[in-house]
Amino acid sequence: MTAQEQKNEEIQDSVTIPLKIRAGIEVSGPVIYFTDKNILNTEGNLSVDLNEKLGVFFGAGYSDYKYSQYNYEYLNKGIFFKAGIDYNLLKPQVSMGKYWAGIGIRYGISFFTSETPSFRHENYWGTTYSSLARETSMGHYIELSPGFRAELFRNFTIGWSISLRKLIYPGIKRDIRPIYFAGYGQGGGSVSAGIGYFISWNIPFKKIRVPIKQEEPEEPLDEEEEIPGNRTNTESQSLGGNRPVIRTR
Amino acid sequence: MRSLSINILVAGLTGMLLFTASCTPGSCFEETNSYVEASFYLESTGKLKAPDSLTLYGIGKDTARYKKARGVQPALIPLNASTEDCIFIIRINGVNDTMSFRYTSFPHLISKECGFTYYHSLDTVFSTKNIIDTILIRNHTVTTLNDQNLFIYY
Repeated sequence: MTAQEQKNEEIQDSVTIPLKIRAGIEVSGPVIYFTDKNILNTEGNLSVDLNEKLGVFFGAGYSDYKYSQYNYEYLNKGIFFKAGIDYNLLKPQVSMGKYWAGIGIRYGISFFTSETPSFRHENYWGTTYSSLARETSMGHYIELSPGFRAELFRNFTIGWSISLRKLIYPGIKRDIRPIYFAGYGQGGGSVSAGIGYFISWNIPFKKIRVPIKQEEPEEPLDEEEEIPGNRTNTESQSLGGNRPVIRTR
Repeated sequence: MRSLSINILVAGLTGMLLFTASCTPGSCFEETNSYVEASFYLESTGKLKAPDSLTLYGIGKDTARYKKARGVQPALIPLNASTEDCIFIIRINGVNDTMSFRYTSFPHLISKECGFTYYHSLDTVFSTKNIIDTILIRNHTVTTLNDQNLFIYY
């Protein structure tokens, strides 16, 4: 094989993937804030490719939440930090460093203050008015984040991800758990879900060549294996020459 | 791949809109009041037996919680969260007794939709003994969860 042939084979069997650092922001939070001034969520993130499949993820954000209804008012504001890994499910020859469809797993920690300026409770004895003073707390959670992103322009990526969060600790005693807190969202239950839209600026820092796994063609089946239901043990047939004898009358 | 990525991004946007729509406030379907749950037992047999007639009202209240009610089992007795004690007049089968409760109250978040209620921690329960023989506290914590708190023997 000549050197040129070797080079051609090498090109056919591998692909160059640019590893990137991505700095992004979540855009749906500020958009929602324009329609609902009671919820402001901002989030930024930084991810670094380790190889064509894996990347490390860091995120941070701020949340300011207000809620009121006929019998109470509630305020919560705080910051959160997330860290974890992203795993790309696409094959390298499909992703080419431009597309990502995969899943991230993160640990999140949130520092927040919550306050109930007023609440009202009615029963047989009448109406009771009260409030709960501002309290600072720390909550934490695990997040699974499947999603998709694509490089629309050179070094500019857009994408979305679903966030499925499992609460580890809500930060406040059981009877007055937070209704909402930064990073986790609705805190009433032990799981929460959300969806985020991200735009990212990418900085390529390294190129790697990744071999492409060629799918081997399946070997044709043996004649005996092609017969459905034929499960004759050929090994036992060969032992001692005890083959079945066909007797004719 | 470019058209595929646009399709997936549009699918994500649709998902976000659906998710936002699903976040509209819901209604409250949970119990919002906590009650002392009191079961009645016949002192002579020790067996569960609802009074033939039960009247219950709080001292200082114009309205009765139960008024000549038949077959009440258990009785649900509301406490006053604004004070640390409250007194009820209880009439079982036409005979009056007074029951007084001492307790502490603390706020409890039911849910985002329902808001807050008060839970109580029972300290003591006293009664006169015209028809009531004994009151036993089985569970000191009074919640919205229908836990049995008192056994009233009469």
